[in-house]
Amino acid sequence: MLDKILNSKIWATLFKGYGFLFLGFLYLPLGLIFVYSFNANSINMAIWTEFTFDWYLTIFGGASSQSSFDAAFTESPDRIFEVVKHSVIVALSASTVSTVIGTATAIALARYHFVGKRFYQALLVLPMIVPDIVLGIALLIFFVGAGFKLSLLTIIIGHTTFLSSYVFVVVSARLAGMDTSLEQASADLGAGPITTFRRVTLPQIMPGVVGGFLLAFIISLDDVVITYFIAGVGSQTLPLFILAMMRRGLRPQINALAVLLLLFTFVIAAIGLYLRSRKS
Amino acid sequence: MTSSDTILKRKRRSLILLLAPFTVMLSVFFLVPLGIMMVYSFLEPGLYGGVEWNWYPYNYGRIIGWPLNDYEEFEPIYLKIFLNSLQIAIMTVIGTFVICYPAAFWVSRMQGAKKNLALFMITLPFFANLLVRIYAWLLLLRPTGFFNTVLQSAGLIIEPLDLLFTNFSVIIGMVYILTPFMFLPIYANVEKLDYSMVRASQDLGANPLQTFRRVILPLTAPGIIGGSVIVFIPALGNFIVPSFLGGSKVQMTGNLIERSFLQSRDWPFGAALALLIMASVVVLVVFQLSRQAKAEARGVS
Amino acid sequence: MKRISTSKLATAAAALTLVAPMASAEGNLALYNWGEYINPEVIEKFSEEFDVEVTLDTYSTNEELLARLQAGATGYDLVWPSVHMHDIMQKTGLLQPSGVNKMPGFENIDPGSIRSKEDPNAEYCLPYAWGAVGIFYNKELIPELTSWQQFFDYAKENPGRVTMLDDLRETIGVGLIMNGNSVNSTDKDEIAAAEQFILEQKPNIGAFRYDILPLVTSGDMAASHWYVGAVLNANQNPDLLGFVVPEEGATMYQEDICLLASAPNPDNAKLFMQFMMRPDISALNTERLTNGSVNTAAIELLPEELKGHPAVNPPADVRAKLQIFDDLGKDLKLYTRSWDRIKTN
Repeated sequence: MLDKILNSKIWATLFKGYGFLFLGFLYLPLGLIFVYSFNANSINMAIWTEFTFDWYLTIFGGASSQSSFDAAFTESPDRIFEVVKHSVIVALSASTVSTVIGTATAIALARYHFVGKRFYQALLVLPMIVPDIVLGIALLIFFVGAGFKLSLLTIIIGHTTFLSSYVFVVVSARLAGMDTSLEQASADLGAGPITTFRRVTLPQIMPGVVGGFLLAFIISLDDVVITYFIAGVGSQTLPLFILAMMRRGLRPQINALAVLLLLFTFVIAAIGLYLRSRKS
Repeated sequence: MTSSDTILKRKRRSLILLLAPFTVMLSVFFLVPLGIMMVYSFLEPGLYGGVEWNWYPYNYGRIIGWPLNDYEEFEPIYLKIFLNSLQIAIMTVIGTFVICYPAAFWVSRMQGAKKNLALFMITLPFFANLLVRIYAWLLLLRPTGFFNTVLQSAGLIIEPLDLLFTNFSVIIGMVYILTPFMFLPIYANVEKLDYSMVRASQDLGANPLQTFRRVILPLTAPGIIGGSVIVFIPALGNFIVPSFLGGSKVQMTGNLIERSFLQSRDWPFGAALALLIMASVVVLVVFQLSRQAKAEARGVS
Repeated sequence: MKRISTSKLATAAAALTLVAPMASAEGNLALYNWGEYINPEVIEKFSEEFDVEVTLDTYSTNEELLARLQAGATGYDLVWPSVHMHDIMQKTGLLQPSGVNKMPGFENIDPGSIRSKEDPNAEYCLPYAWGAVGIFYNKELIPELTSWQQFFDYAKENPGRVTMLDDLRETIGVGLIMNGNSVNSTDKDEIAAAEQFILEQKPNIGAFRYDILPLVTSGDMAASHWYVGAVLNANQNPDLLGFVVPEEGATMYQEDICLLASAPNPDNAKLFMQFMMRPDISALNTERLTNGSVNTAAIELLPEELKGHPAVNPPADVRAKLQIFDDLGKDLKLYTRSWDRIKTN
C-alpha cells in the first residue's frame, strides 16, 4: 500500500512540489547575487533601480557612473589580478602534487596487501575528517615553530596535505570497480610493471584521476579557513581577498566578484561531474 | 624459488615507493603539527604571543571555568560557549535532515537522465565558494534585505523583522552550506531501499505510519547517521558563518579559537579548545565506525 | 599519456618556482597597513616621483598585525601599528630606529602627537594620523545625535538597530567612559561595572561589527559605534549621514609608521617616511582618511569642511575628553575575560 501511496498521483505531485522548493532553497540565494550584481542601486540592493555593468567594470579598474561613494577605495585592478594569480598558482600546484601522491597511494592500496592496511587506510582519510580550523592552526603552529616563512609555499603544502586524501578516495573508488584481468594479461604477455601501468592501468583509471584533480583544484581554489591561518606576506588568495572585502562591509562589487567566481567554479565542477557520470 | 623471491622483493620495493610520498607528507605536515598543537595546549602563553616552555595545565582548567588568578571566580563561560556550539551543530544536523530526507525520496523515484540532472543540480551548489554562499544569506536576511523588502512591500509587516545576527540566522546559514553532505549519504541509502520489505510489512497489516517507523526509517538509518556525522563535524568547528551571520553576538568555539590566535595572543588556550573539538570529532567517528563494523558483522549494510 | 604527465609536472615545477620568494630588486617598498588607511594617490605619487614599486597588504586589527609578524611574516618594510602596539613591537624587538626625528620635515609634526612611551623622541616611528572613535548615524532615523546616552536610549526604543565595535577595548571602553573611569583601568571593580553596563545594553544592540558603513547608509542600522573615518561618507551625503564625538567623551586612536627590523628596503622606507611629512602629501592623505592630522603645516592646507569639522579637527575642550589606549600587559586578561562574558551571556 505504501509503495502504492508513494506512487499515487497526489504523492507524486507533493514530492515534485517539494523537490522544486528544495532546488529553490539551493539556488535562490545564488540567483539573488546574480541579479543584484546588475542592480545599480548601491544603497539598498533589494530594490531594483536600473541595469548596470558598473560593478563588473569597477572590479577591473573601470570608473563607476553609479556612485562616487564606493569609488574612493575601489581596489586597484592589479590587486585583483595578483590575488587571482596566487589562487591559481596554489590550486594548480597543490592539486597536481596531490593527484600524483593520492593516485600512487590508491594504486598501492588496491594492488598490494600488507599488514595494517586497514589502519593505514583510516589514517589516510583522517585529514578529511579533522575540522578545518584545527588543521589550520596546527599547521600555523608547526610552520612558525619550524621556521618556515608563511608564503604561497606554505599554503600549497597545507592544501596538498588534505587534498591528497580527496584524490585518494576518488581514485580508489575508480580502482575498486576496475577489471584486473587486463593487467594480468599484460603481465602474462611479458610487460614490465611500468609498461603495464602506463598502457593498461592508467588509461582505465584516467577518469578517476582527472576527477580527483578537478575536485582538488576546486577545493583548493575555494578554501578559506586553512588558508586564512597559513597565508603570509603577499600571499593573499582570492577567497581571503573576498573575506577582507566582506569584513569591511557589503558592496555591490562583491556581488560581481562572487558571480565571476561562481561561474568559474561551476564550469570546472560541471566538467568533473560530467566525466564521472559518463564513465560510471 | 629465486625468481619468486625477486618478484616479491620488487613488489615490496614498488609498494614502499608508492606509499612513501603520502606517508612522509602525512607524518610531517599532519601528524607532527597535531602533536605539536597538543604539546602547546599544556604550555604557558607568552605575554606578547607565542609560548613559554612551562608546564601549564590551566588552559584546560580555564575551559572548565577554573579561576586563573585571585580576581576571577569560578565561571564556566567557555563551557557554555562550547555547549552553545554543540547546540547549533545539532540543530544544523536536524535542519539538514528535515530538508534532505524527503528530497532523497523525490530524486530516488526519478528515472534515467532526469535523475542524473537532479543529482547534478543538487551537487553543484556545493562547489560554490563558502564565502559567497554565506554572503548570499546576508543579502537575504538583513533588515533591508530580500525577505524583509518582499514582506514589507506585500504589506505583511511594517517594521523589518530581526532575521540577521541571531542563532536562527547562524543555523540557517550552516544548513545551507552543509545540505549536500546530508543529502548524498541519505540518497545513497534511499536509492537502494528494498521495497519488498515495505510490501511485506504492509501485507502483515502495518499501517503506513508503522511501516515508515518500523521499516523505512531503520533501513535508511545508516545514511542518516553517516550524513549526521559529516554535517556535525564542520558545523561544530565553524567560525566563518557565526562571524558573518551571527554579527559576533553568537559565539562559537571556532570564534574563540580564531580570537585566541589572531587577537588575544593566547595560542595555548586556542590549542586546548581545538583539541576539545578534535576530541568530540574522534568520539563521534569512533562511534560511527564501531556501529558500522557491528552492522557489517550482522551482515546488514 | 606520458607527454601529458610530463607536461603536468612541468606546470607544477613552473608554478613552484614562481612561488619562491622574489629577490628584492632595486626600487621596491612593501607596506603593511590597515585596510583603507592610506590614500592610493599618495602611493601613486611616491611611486612616480622616486621610481619605486610599492606593494600594499592589509590587516584588520593590531593583534592580527602582531600575530602575523610573529608568525614569521617577513618582507614588509613599513607597518602602521597603534601607539600601544608600537610600544609592544618595539619592546619585542620587531622594529629598528629610522632616525625620522632628524629628517627634514619633522618640524611639521605636532610634538603632542609623539605619544609612544618606548619612543619618546621619535627615533623609531613617525606619528601618522589620529582620530576619535564616536558614533556614525543615519539622520533619517535619528535627526540629531550628540551623546552616548541618546545612542543607548534610541537602542532601548528600537532594539537591534544600533551596533558597537567587535573590539574588546573599544566597547568595554565605552562602558568605562559611561561610568566616568579611565579606559586603561586595571581596577577589577571598574571593569566589572563597565561590563555590567554593556551587558545591560546588549539586548538592544544589533551586533558587534566593523562592516557597518553600508548598513547605516542603507538604514539597516540607525547608528553605529565607529571611527572618525566615517566622516568621508558623511561629507559625501551630509543630509543623510552624520558622525559625532559623544559628549561623555570617547576613545581615540593614533597610528605611527614604523620601520621593521626585518625590512628588506630600509632606504626606500625612510624615503617614504620623509615623503609623508610633506604638508601637501599629508593633507592629500587626510582628505581621504578624514582623520585628525599630526602635521601642523598640513592642517592649514585642508579644505574647510575638514579643518572646521568638530570630529576631524576637534576644539580643545573636546580633545580633552578623548582617551588613548595603553598597553596593559598581563592585565589585558581582565578585559578578555570580561569580553567573553559579554559575548556569551
